[in-house]
Amino acid sequence: MAKSGDISMFTCPYCSTQRENFEALREHILADHKGSLLPEPANRIRLLINGLEHAMNVEPEWTLYHLIHDRLGMTGSKQFCDRGACGSCTVIMDGLPVLSCMVLAIECDGRTIETVEGVARAGHPLIESYVKHHAMQCGYCTPGFVVTSKALLDRNPDPTEGEIREALSGNLCRCGTYPQHIVAVREAARTLLKEKEDSGGER
Amino acid sequence: MVDNFSDEQKKGMEEMQDNLTADRHPLPRYKHIGGRGGRRLDGQPKASGQAEYTMDVILPGMLHLRFLDSPYPHAAVRSMDTSKAERLDGVRYVLRYDNPEMPEKASMGKFHGLYGDQPPLPGIAHFEGEPVGVAIAAETEAIAEEALTLVEVEWEERSFNLDPVKAREKDAPLSYPEMYPAGNFWNNGLFNELVLGDAKKGFHESERVMEFAFSRRGHTWIGPERPCGVFRWNGESPEVWVKQQRPHLVKKNLATWYGGIPMNSIQLHCLYQGASFGGWVQVPWNMGPLYCAGFVAKKTGRPVKYALTRREDFYGQSMDDGRYSLKVGFNRDGRINAVKGSSTMTNQLWPMFNIMGHFKENTSIPHLHGVTESVWVNKGPAVPTRCEMLPTSLCITMVFNRVAAECGLDPIEVALRNDGIEGHGTDHLAEERRNRGFSDVDSMKECVERGKKAFGWDAKWHAPGTRKLPNGRMHGVGFTWTHEWDDSLGTSEMAIRIERNDGTATILAMGCDNGVDAENTYCRIAADELGFRLEDVRYNPQIDPGFFRMSPDSSTNASVNGWAVRHAARIVKAQILQAAVSPTARTQRGSYRPAFPDCTPDDLDIEDSVIYRKSDPSQRMSLGDFVREAGQSGPISSSESAGYRWAFSEPLFAFGYQVQLGSYNPENPRPHFTRQAHFLEVEVDTETGGIFLTSVVNVNDVGKAMNPMSCEGQQYGGSIMGLSRGLFEEMIYDQATGVMLNGNLLDYKIATIKDVSCPIGTILVETGQGYGPYGSVGIGEDIGTVMTGILGPAVYNAIGVWIDDHPITPDKVLKALGKT
Repeated sequence: MAKSGDISMFTCPYCSTQRENFEALREHILADHKGSLLPEPANRIRLLINGLEHAMNVEPEWTLYHLIHDRLGMTGSKQFCDRGACGSCTVIMDGLPVLSCMVLAIECDGRTIETVEGVARAGHPLIESYVKHHAMQCGYCTPGFVVTSKALLDRNPDPTEGEIREALSGNLCRCGTYPQHIVAVREAARTLLKEKEDSGGER
Repeated sequence: MVDNFSDEQKKGMEEMQDNLTADRHPLPRYKHIGGRGGRRLDGQPKASGQAEYTMDVILPGMLHLRFLDSPYPHAAVRSMDTSKAERLDGVRYVLRYDNPEMPEKASMGKFHGLYGDQPPLPGIAHFEGEPVGVAIAAETEAIAEEALTLVEVEWEERSFNLDPVKAREKDAPLSYPEMYPAGNFWNNGLFNELVLGDAKKGFHESERVMEFAFSRRGHTWIGPERPCGVFRWNGESPEVWVKQQRPHLVKKNLATWYGGIPMNSIQLHCLYQGASFGGWVQVPWNMGPLYCAGFVAKKTGRPVKYALTRREDFYGQSMDDGRYSLKVGFNRDGRINAVKGSSTMTNQLWPMFNIMGHFKENTSIPHLHGVTESVWVNKGPAVPTRCEMLPTSLCITMVFNRVAAECGLDPIEVALRNDGIEGHGTDHLAEERRNRGFSDVDSMKECVERGKKAFGWDAKWHAPGTRKLPNGRMHGVGFTWTHEWDDSLGTSEMAIRIERNDGTATILAMGCDNGVDAENTYCRIAADELGFRLEDVRYNPQIDPGFFRMSPDSSTNASVNGWAVRHAARIVKAQILQAAVSPTARTQRGSYRPAFPDCTPDDLDIEDSVIYRKSDPSQRMSLGDFVREAGQSGPISSSESAGYRWAFSEPLFAFGYQVQLGSYNPENPRPHFTRQAHFLEVEVDTETGGIFLTSVVNVNDVGKAMNPMSCEGQQYGGSIMGLSRGLFEEMIYDQATGVMLNGNLLDYKIATIKDVSCPIGTILVETGQGYGPYGSVGIGEDIGTVMTGILGPAVYNAIGVWIDDHPITPDKVLKALGKT
């Protein structure tokens, strides 16, 4: 089984040869056809996702969720509801949690995105505390909680129980794991604070 | 298989066919069973987003299949023009209900022979929103959806019913004329009438008789991952990914489709599942889209994915949607003599369980008469939705609390007074326990005492409507109880293999993860039975169901599957010890020296994954050393050719199985011994009608908590689901058009982390009186089911007025208080 990526080829308008990406096409035209730079297509966006540059042509109706989940194969973002009611598709955009199913991809040019895959790859203590405290059952909504909690800890390193509830109140869990999220987020916060203290303020 | 078990081992296996008596061969001590802190096998994948669900499956060249939904609650397609849809760019196949190659009917989840085969793509809709008439496969979901808007349908609108009472009237239109032409009233369920004693006599002998009625509005499961599947043909063999709580049923049905397919040609993947709580398990509406996907995949030569929309998933409902009428005869001391109950339910697509069921199974009430009727209306199917025991659990809660209120008694006192079994009191229950070898502990008393203490019941309970808090709200408490969950009429098969090279153990069984951490439980059982370290046992889910399990990862799974893994572990351990003392393997070079010469299996044991001689523990060998490293040509190293002889072990593998007789067996072979008790504290704002939860305590006698963190997860998780149903959940239909008005997660509200923000106490009692291994019982279904009704008595205790229409929303509170 394979996940689809962006497999579209880029065709040279002068000689019809194909290149795998826009940058390669650009270099080919500059080198072989001595032409001026092609204007970028209007549907072309650049994103920094989990620290990696992505440049893609997107259709105007694509949501950010569709781009991330279906096109880039980062399937940690989930679609539970279909209208911004559940929080399962949450990603962090320029530091703020957003519902990726409610954002058009074409409007995200130049944005910095962090998904649950990025949170995990960075070794964020939320992952371990979620595992340890069983802050999951079926797990379908879990990545959305993790990402929302990560955004919370980024802006509030020592949240109270009430602040955690407030931050997570837009995330639905049908299995009813809510009590464990409080425990897990508090523990991750303590871990981060200790790391910061041990490292003299840097993490 | 080695057949050289010691007498003790043989005894240990005897009870595998007998869960009717106490577990006569428990382990002398538990090292991992009952322990905390074991790492969830699914934890890291789920927390990090790596866990793969069927919704995440994307195959090269995959098409997306979408269905037309009926705009009417009852209508037939008279004619259909799909030409414009067929011409839309990106549309690859239009499957019509009248396609001559589609079968009129196919096997779609037949259950217990109650329901016949159904059309995979019907031309007649029996509820608004039903997938009907046409399915369109396109390059993208968006194109498929756009194409559906281009389909022109001439509908034959039919009269419809929404109200079950009106649907029963003589001149009511037929709701499902094709399936039930004789009428809308259908009472041929398996358990529709229950009679114990003589209710009329019981009323006559009672000091008081009370009648009341209540209703429960239908609610739905809200599985986070929508029903979905992917179908690909590899030549003539199907490869299928499907979200299904019972994937083996999918495989069974699939084998009958498309002219018949051998089971060994079907490759079925059941990945992680975004829960379904029983919903969609046995209904044709789930299988039909998969059939269509397979049909279109064959026609187009491309993989096809279907995913019902969130709204399409909304039409399935719980089995408690209905109206309940109860008559109770009782004495002033709270002793209940007779209960007569009837309920009118809707669209029961599963065997109905009588509303007096739990009264019979765990009370001493001598006279019972229950009638549960099902009426067909033009709504979606009602199926087990955590769970089919909702109706009887609601009735238990209402009857006991009503009697307590009428007598001015503490409801716990009334519960204790009527505890028992099949009309007999606790003395009889104690005798049954003794006869079957169980501990002589009164489970109900134990649960109640521990719950009362943790909750502070004695200080909190008061006469109804009498305690106003400083914040102006009214204070109330609610209590309910019932017996253990024994949804265990089923079988299980699991296997264990000892791995080459390191001697670790792998459990092999059907994978079907719904998130209850059952896999960890099975590892704990195998580790203790084998004498292995917990980290040396791993559950390897077989995503293609081969080994079948009754209830793979839900309901009361561990109490059935636990036996199977325990059995397999005992056989494997016997194999290991036998192999350790035997001249292992006979080859061209002769036989090999035993690892433990001059010993018998009984001389040895295993602890922490090390085989040792009991009389001299210094004679020891780790499992890894025992099985030895496998060479490139197999388990015997090629270095043997130089004359060196390695120790050698034969393949170590065994399967276990369990055929379980549970209370669902009509013969009811085993009494329910263990109990559960639940406590709720609320505050009610009499100005706004708002209800605020302030404390919850659950006490469950689980017999033996094999995996306490998993049990607690079901306690707080089930509480939140049950209370959410009690507070908010109902499917609302427009009575004039039959259209559902709140089929989305904005308008159908489920509890958030702020709605249930109070402490939820989780207490596990372990009397060992269960039917599962080590005396355990199941816990997955019950708390969510039992807690659904507890808001009723709690709000009554707060405001002194009964609200008999559930869910209990603020408008109903204000109405009850005469404020609207």
